[in-house]
Amino acid sequence: MLKKYKPFLRAGAIDTMAYRFNILMWALITVFEVACLVFLWLAVYRSSAGGMDAEIHGFTYREMISYVVLTTVFGFITFNNDTLWNINNDIRKGTVGNYLIKPISYRGKFAATSLGSLLTMTVMFGVPFYTAALVTLRALGFLPDLNFPGFFAHLVLFLISGLCASLLNDVIAYIFGVLCFYTTAAWGLNSLKTTVISFLSGTLLPLAFFPAGLRELVSWMPFAGMSQNPVLILMMKYDLAESLRCVALSTAWIVVLELFAKLLFSHAVRKVTVQGG
Amino acid sequence: MRYVHLYFTCIKRSMISRLEYKKDTVVALFSFFFSNFCSLAAIYFILQAIPALAGYSLYEVGFFYGFSMLPIALDHLFSDEFWLVAYRRVKEGDMDMLFLRPVPVMFQVFAETFQPEGFGELILGVALIAVCSANLTVKVTFGAVAVLCVGAVFGAVIITSLKVAMAALAFIFKRSGPLLQVIYNFSSYAKYPLAIYPALVRALLIFVLPFGLFISLPVDTLLHGAHNPWLLCGAIIGCAAVFFALAVWVWTACERRYESTGS
Repeated sequence: MLKKYKPFLRAGAIDTMAYRFNILMWALITVFEVACLVFLWLAVYRSSAGGMDAEIHGFTYREMISYVVLTTVFGFITFNNDTLWNINNDIRKGTVGNYLIKPISYRGKFAATSLGSLLTMTVMFGVPFYTAALVTLRALGFLPDLNFPGFFAHLVLFLISGLCASLLNDVIAYIFGVLCFYTTAAWGLNSLKTTVISFLSGTLLPLAFFPAGLRELVSWMPFAGMSQNPVLILMMKYDLAESLRCVALSTAWIVVLELFAKLLFSHAVRKVTVQGG
Repeated sequence: MRYVHLYFTCIKRSMISRLEYKKDTVVALFSFFFSNFCSLAAIYFILQAIPALAGYSLYEVGFFYGFSMLPIALDHLFSDEFWLVAYRRVKEGDMDMLFLRPVPVMFQVFAETFQPEGFGELILGVALIAVCSANLTVKVTFGAVAVLCVGAVFGAVIITSLKVAMAALAFIFKRSGPLLQVIYNFSSYAKYPLAIYPALVRALLIFVLPFGLFISLPVDTLLHGAHNPWLLCGAIIGCAAVFFALAVWVWTACERRYESTGS
């Protein structure tokens, strides 16, 4: 049943390989962004009432820098799908029609492509980047000792929550992509999606900094599972019970959002105006 | 005179084609305001946890953020088409027609788009500056205001020059978008006071990619009287002149090496 999606899995993997130069440039941009954030956080801790040794909202400056580095690597590896743009292209060029008459699901095609891309990114960049980040942060004393049996359980849960994050990201991109059936504002929709995710997932700032009410609300939304939670699992800031709760919440959200995406698509497809053909 | 007329004719045409996509503009504008709202909320949440950032209060940091939007907005209004040159137009062979017309190619690229979204940034930047100044007690001097105006206008010239030069490299390499992006993104460093950076980065932001020169130093001059405003005005204008001349030179040199990709 799933076999027919294998070519898309492959295509996603190969596509990602082909754009190695772009990915390197993107890595460069990311490095400068991280540097800026690191300077900002160092200044924040230097200026805090307790000085460099202060703990702000449960983070020491060492943990905060580890958090910034790891969420960045995590985002780089996990959020690399072009689902929204591809849907938009399919609409503009009229190729969406081709998929509607084929015996595969439009949604399944994108999910498979994203997973293929995730696979390539994880193997090609994830393994070296995570290893480098973890070893460096550990050597600088920014991370606690990664004692092995315990860390291994966290690592497994981290990988599962990373997979969940990628699926969540893809289904959200798909939902925003399907909105392109109603408006042609792909660029605006994409930046809206990126902003919502980076703010509510804790990438911009750990959710612990949010005011209590907002924090409680956001912790029940799917976004924290897309960046903050996986990284805090990896950093062993969450115990196993908390980690499992995070994975369960993400899984539940994947189901809900997939159902919503299905309903939305079946409505949108009746609205489709193909530009050109 | 002929060019002024030509520019407005082209811009009118570009605006008409924009009106076809009204919904896009509304969505883009909304997402723009929302994204800045989130960044400001993040800054606000951080400053709730500490007394001040490297000696700058919440409103002072807000002032930096607001002022940094002005040169970026002015550049955004006039030179958005260079992004397309860097990312797509050369690679897709879409520039050939510009070379056939009896008007300089660079002029045509400028005249291709006028990006009204820049007004969004301009309005938000000015609004932020107004709100923050209302909550600050600074001695406003004529020199400080002058240096802020010079920073905004000539800063835009510097940003545009960087954009032109980087986009021109696409004539040789076919695609220079990512490189342009790397350079352009340094502008976000200037959203915060220079005091938060180590000396090396500070020097880089003043002497190499001078976002700090025309954003941070003028704001410091207003808030703390840190620099001589007239000297700073001179430095910014001089820097803009050098960057602009370099950009024109790079563009002309690269243009001559243009080969159509033919497809």
